Amino acid sequence: MSIQYKSIKELKNMLNDKDISHTELVQETFLNIKNNSALNAFITLNEEESLKKANNLDNTPSSGSLAGVPIAQKDLFCTKDLKTTCGSNMLSNFIPPYSATVIENLENAGCISVGKTNMDEFAMGSSNETSFYGNVQNPWGKNLVPGGSSGGSAAAVAAGIVPAASGTDTGGSIRQPASLCGISGLKPTYGRVSRWGMIAFASSLDQAGPMARTAEDCALLLNEMCSHDEKDTTSIDEAIPDFTENLNSSIQGLKIGLVKEFDLSKLDNDVVQVFEESKKHYESLGAEFIEISLPNISLSVPTYYVVAPAECSSNLSRFDGVKFGKRCDSPKDLEELYIKTRSEGFGDEVKRRILIGSYVLSAGFYDAYYKKAQQVRRLIKNDFDSAFKSVDIIMSPTTRGAAFEAGSKGDDPIQMYLEDLFTIPANLAGLPAMSIPNGMIDNKPIGLQLIGNFLDESRLLQAAHNFQISSDWHLKTPSGNKS
Amino acid sequence: MDKKTVSTIAYLSRLSLNEENEDKITEDLKNIIKFVDQLDGADTNNIEPLANPLEKTAKTRTDNVTAKNRKEVFLERSPKSNEDYFLVPRVVE
Repeated sequence: MSIQYKSIKELKNMLNDKDISHTELVQETFLNIKNNSALNAFITLNEEESLKKANNLDNTPSSGSLAGVPIAQKDLFCTKDLKTTCGSNMLSNFIPPYSATVIENLENAGCISVGKTNMDEFAMGSSNETSFYGNVQNPWGKNLVPGGSSGGSAAAVAAGIVPAASGTDTGGSIRQPASLCGISGLKPTYGRVSRWGMIAFASSLDQAGPMARTAEDCALLLNEMCSHDEKDTTSIDEAIPDFTENLNSSIQGLKIGLVKEFDLSKLDNDVVQVFEESKKHYESLGAEFIEISLPNISLSVPTYYVVAPAECSSNLSRFDGVKFGKRCDSPKDLEELYIKTRSEGFGDEVKRRILIGSYVLSAGFYDAYYKKAQQVRRLIKNDFDSAFKSVDIIMSPTTRGAAFEAGSKGDDPIQMYLEDLFTIPANLAGLPAMSIPNGMIDNKPIGLQLIGNFLDESRLLQAAHNFQISSDWHLKTPSGNKS
Repeated sequence: MDKKTVSTIAYLSRLSLNEENEDKITEDLKNIIKFVDQLDGADTNNIEPLANPLEKTAKTRTDNVTAKNRKEVFLERSPKSNEDYFLVPRVVE
């Protein structure tokens, strides 16, 4: 029985009904990984350990809510005794001595981590082209990028290899690849999921979340990913609801905000049309639309490109070739050890961001850039606070278009930065947001973004699930579409 | 933003840029800084900077021992170490 493209829920039923054993499921998963090796979605596989766990589950059934579910883990999460590269040459030999809290939570629930997925180097990129380990191919077309930075995770789910993957989202790194690969992905409220054991990019923006075929599967995963964690000082100590509880409740009367300042007329007609159809769909489900104003939203991308590089330059100063990771050959003194190791270990985009960060944090420029950006960040957050007084969720396209070809954004980094135009605001404000498939353009999927109020993931998932039980965009697969 | 500034911030970041990509990086950074200069237009008088969406300050906890000493585990992951220390080129002659 084929397991390709099966959801978590379907696989759980197959396991419960003994249509398939845990071992067969894992064997089949590795077969699919190998048959799809051209996608380059994985950096490291965990086959032996996975088979061992599956065998244990066959012998001793577990009550874990995700027992036996194969999951692909973004290579940004530390996994004990399993190589963790963060897509960088700098960590090409790094074997963590501990696992991230998210990994522990998922594995405690019974998930089997089958491998580590490819990603933009240190999560800096929107196309997976900055990975030291090569581009990831979008399953929907040979030369298409999967988006980034969680491109390997998105591609592995979209190709039907695994039902679930973990991702992280600093400016759209879960939602943008979810959109370009035709899957569902959720960035939770900042602080909902522990950052302990995640290799830090921009600590005030980074958040881990689930990537899966359906919103329902995202809810099942989020139930296990969340926990209050003493080891992360920004971990929220609030009750964690059962995110599956309200999925099927009607969204009659749901107030959806449309952002006046998102000028959709600048997008391709096809993108606008897909978005308009989703609006009609939500209207038919009983939702009402309200125009809202987020006056400072147009400053989100420039704000982000001060805040994120500043935090990145500080976070990445730990990679110095002394305690772990790569070290250059025969340095003549300590300074050369630092400089040569970092220059050899980091790729161009990472260097670019470290340099911007060092610049905006340097004496004389701090107030003009970093402080200014933090002030604008508050204005953006205030805009959202006011908007959520009159609406329940906010809706927009996730991306400006469907997947683009590798290399097509040319050499201009700003063109790539604008890829995250719609996704960055939720990170700046710390709000939960998700992307679900809502249409096809030229045979390529595209996503719809839903942004929720603080800690209101349940409502996002409910809105997304209501959409999915009355449409089939999330069921489309790239099979037969590989040109 | 010119080549001299770029070489200063590169040194601050402990990165070396080779001649051929120095021009390209200078040009890129110039454009990025020009792009973020849009922020100048925002009226931020009397606006408190927002460093973190939760606006939390670091929590304190009781000073209990929570982790075992795992010196060997960490040292063995280092590019160069002896049984007690991480090793780097000699700093003091």
